[in-house]
Amino acid sequence: MERRELIRWLVASAGVAALDTLAPDDLIALGRDVHARAGAHADPLIAALAERILPGAADAGVPAFIERMLNDWHTPEERAPIQAGLRELSDLSRLESIDQANPDWYARLKYLTAYGYCTSEIGMRELELWPPPSRYDGCAPV
Amino acid sequence: MTDFDAIVVGSGMTGGWAAKELTELGLRTLVLEAGRPIVPERDYTEHKPPWELPFRGMGDRRAIAARQAMQRNSVSFDELSHVFWTDDVDNPYSTPADRPFYWFRARQVGGKSIIWGRQVYRWSDLDFEANLRDGVAVDWPIRYADIAPWYDHVERFIGVSGQAEGLAHLPDGQFLPPMEMNCVERHVRERMQQRFGRERILTIGRVANLTAAHQGRAPCHYCGPCHRGCITRSYFSSVNATLPAARATGRLTLRPFSIVRALTYDRRTNRVTGVGIVDAQTGAEREYGAKVVFLCASALESARIMLNSGVGNSSDQVGRNIMDHIKWGGGTGELDGWTDRKVTGERPNGIYVPRFRNVSTRHPDFIRGYGFQGAAGREGWRSALRTPGIGLAFKQRLRELGPWSMSFWGFGEMLPRAENRATIHPTLVDKWGIPSLHIDCRWGENDLAIHRDMNVTAAELLEAAGARNIEAPRGPSTPGGTNHEMGTARMGRDPKTSVLNGWNQSWDVPNLFVTDGAAMTSSGCQNPSLTYMALTARACHYAVDRLKRSEI
Repeated sequence: MERRELIRWLVASAGVAALDTLAPDDLIALGRDVHARAGAHADPLIAALAERILPGAADAGVPAFIERMLNDWHTPEERAPIQAGLRELSDLSRLESIDQANPDWYARLKYLTAYGYCTSEIGMRELELWPPPSRYDGCAPV
Repeated sequence: MTDFDAIVVGSGMTGGWAAKELTELGLRTLVLEAGRPIVPERDYTEHKPPWELPFRGMGDRRAIAARQAMQRNSVSFDELSHVFWTDDVDNPYSTPADRPFYWFRARQVGGKSIIWGRQVYRWSDLDFEANLRDGVAVDWPIRYADIAPWYDHVERFIGVSGQAEGLAHLPDGQFLPPMEMNCVERHVRERMQQRFGRERILTIGRVANLTAAHQGRAPCHYCGPCHRGCITRSYFSSVNATLPAARATGRLTLRPFSIVRALTYDRRTNRVTGVGIVDAQTGAEREYGAKVVFLCASALESARIMLNSGVGNSSDQVGRNIMDHIKWGGGTGELDGWTDRKVTGERPNGIYVPRFRNVSTRHPDFIRGYGFQGAAGREGWRSALRTPGIGLAFKQRLRELGPWSMSFWGFGEMLPRAENRATIHPTLVDKWGIPSLHIDCRWGENDLAIHRDMNVTAAELLEAAGARNIEAPRGPSTPGGTNHEMGTARMGRDPKTSVLNGWNQSWDVPNLFVTDGAAMTSSGCQNPSLTYMALTARACHYAVDRLKRSEI
C-alpha cells in the first residue's frame, strides 16, 4: 500500500480531519508508524524477484529492507518508475533478459537486493564479513 | 567575587586539554559545553552491526535533508554518527550564494574529538618561519623549539602510533609501535624509494589510536568506525582521556547544555569577569565568574563569541584569515598481482607522504606545499553491486575481491588572507537568539595551484609504483570541508595586527586566552589538532604561572 493511501486510511479511520496541521516531520513519522504495523508482510512480487536475483535473499530479510528503502528513503519521483516497472513485471521467467537490458528501475532493485543481503546478518556471515576479526593483517591469504 | 578560578568554553579537543592542565595545576575549573553529556556505554555505537540500522548505513535521508543538510557533507557523517553533529536548523549561518563554506560543528561533551580523523603530525620551523620567509600575513611569535616540549607532553598522554623517519620538516614524536602497512603499500614504498630516494617517502600514518595499552586505555582492536565512538577508549578523545583526568583531580565542574551568549567585560579593570550562558534546555540565562577564561569552542565559534561580546578585537583581526586545508587532489591506480592476498580487519589509519614541495627546492607556481594521505586495498562486494547476472553466479560474484588499488589524497596548505572573513550576521540568529555568523571564504590562487599539483605528483607516484588506470579525483574541496578551519584570532608579535600574543593570550584583555584553531597564524599542511593541543597545554601553564604571580 502506498504511504499516502495509508495515511489517508489512518486519518479516515481515526477521524482526524486536520492533516494539514501536521508538520512534515510528523507526517513522515506517522507514515513510518503505520508501515511498522501494517508492513510486516512484504510484497510477494518483490520477495520473489529478490530471491531470483540472489538466492537466499528472502531468508536474509531482504524484501522487508527493500520495501523500507522504497517507502521511507526514496522520493515519490524515484519510487514511481520502480513501481511502474514492478507492475509490468508479470512474468519472472523473463528475468535474464531484463537483467541484460538492465533498465533503471530494475538496476535500482537489484542494487538494493544485493546491498540488503550483504548487510544482513545471514549475508555477512555467509560472506565472512561477520564477526569482525579484531586484528589487522595487511597481507592475509584469500 | 568569582565562582571558579578558570572557565573553559568548550569540552572538545582543546577544551579537554585546558580542563586537564588547569585542574592538575590546582585551579577550580568550570567547563561550559553547549551540547549534551556523552555516556560512552549509551552513546557509542561503533559495534552495532549493519542489520540493526534501519537504512543499513545509507542514513535517514529525509530526516537528514530536513535537519542536517550541511553537516552531512562531512566525511565521517553516517547513519549512526550523525548524532555527533549539530542541527543545521537550530544553528544557522550564512555565506555568499556563490561561495559555499562547510562549517561542521559538534555540540556535545567531547565536541569534534569524538569524530576527528586522529591523524597527528608535528609542525617544524619550515612552517613556523613560513610567513616571515614568504612575506605573507604576519610572523608566528613562536618557533619549533618553543612548542617541541609540549608536543612531547601531549603525545605521551594521548598515545600516538607512528614510525620515526628522521625528517627535519616533519619531526618524529613520542611514538607507540607503528601500525602495519599492507603488502601493496610496502611495494609502493619500495618503488618510491627507488625513484625518489629520500625526497618523497611513504610512511605509515601517525595516528592517535593505540597499538599498545597506554595510560589505562586498551589497544585498538581494528573494528573500523572510530567516528561512532570507542568503548575501549583506544583512540584519543576528550571523553576518553582528558576529561576523566580532569575529573580525577576533584577540581572539575562540567556543565553541559550551556551555550555561551557573551563574555562579560569590565572596562575598569580591563578583565573578562565572567561568561554569560543560556541553558539549552530551559532557556534560562545565568552568568559564571572566574579569574581567567579560555576559549576552546572551535575556531569559528570562539571568534563568534568574541565578536558577539565586543571583546579582544582592537586589531580588527577577529574572524579574519579563515584557513582550511584544500583537498581532493591526488590519484588512484590499480596494481596487478597479490591476487592471493587480502586485508583483514579495519585499520583506522592510512599511509602518509610528507610534504616534498618547497622543502629543499622552489616550485615555480606556488609557495608552501601539501602531504598525501592514502591507502591500498581491494574492494569487496560493493564493487559487484552493479555487475550483470542473477542467481548463484551473481551471488558468487559478491564473494570475489576486486584488484588492488592504491590511492593518494592531498591535504594542501591554505594561505591566510584577511578577506576570508566571518562577521556577525545583521539579522540571523540561532535557536537561542544568539547572532549567527556570515562566512565569506574562498580559495586563493596559491591554494588552487597546490591543488593542481597534487594530481600531477600523485600520478608520478602511482606510475613509479607500476599502477595502471590512474585516475585523478574531483576538483577542489569546498572551503571548510576538511574541517580544519583555523586562523580567526591569530597569534602574532604586534597587537595592531594580531589578536593573541605568543602565549595564546589576548593582547587586549590579559585574562582571556584562545587556544583552539582560531590561534593559528598559518595553516601548514599537517592535520592541525596536535598543534592545537600543544598550544593549549603550553598556554595553561603560562596562565597559571601568571595567576600565581597576580599578573593577570
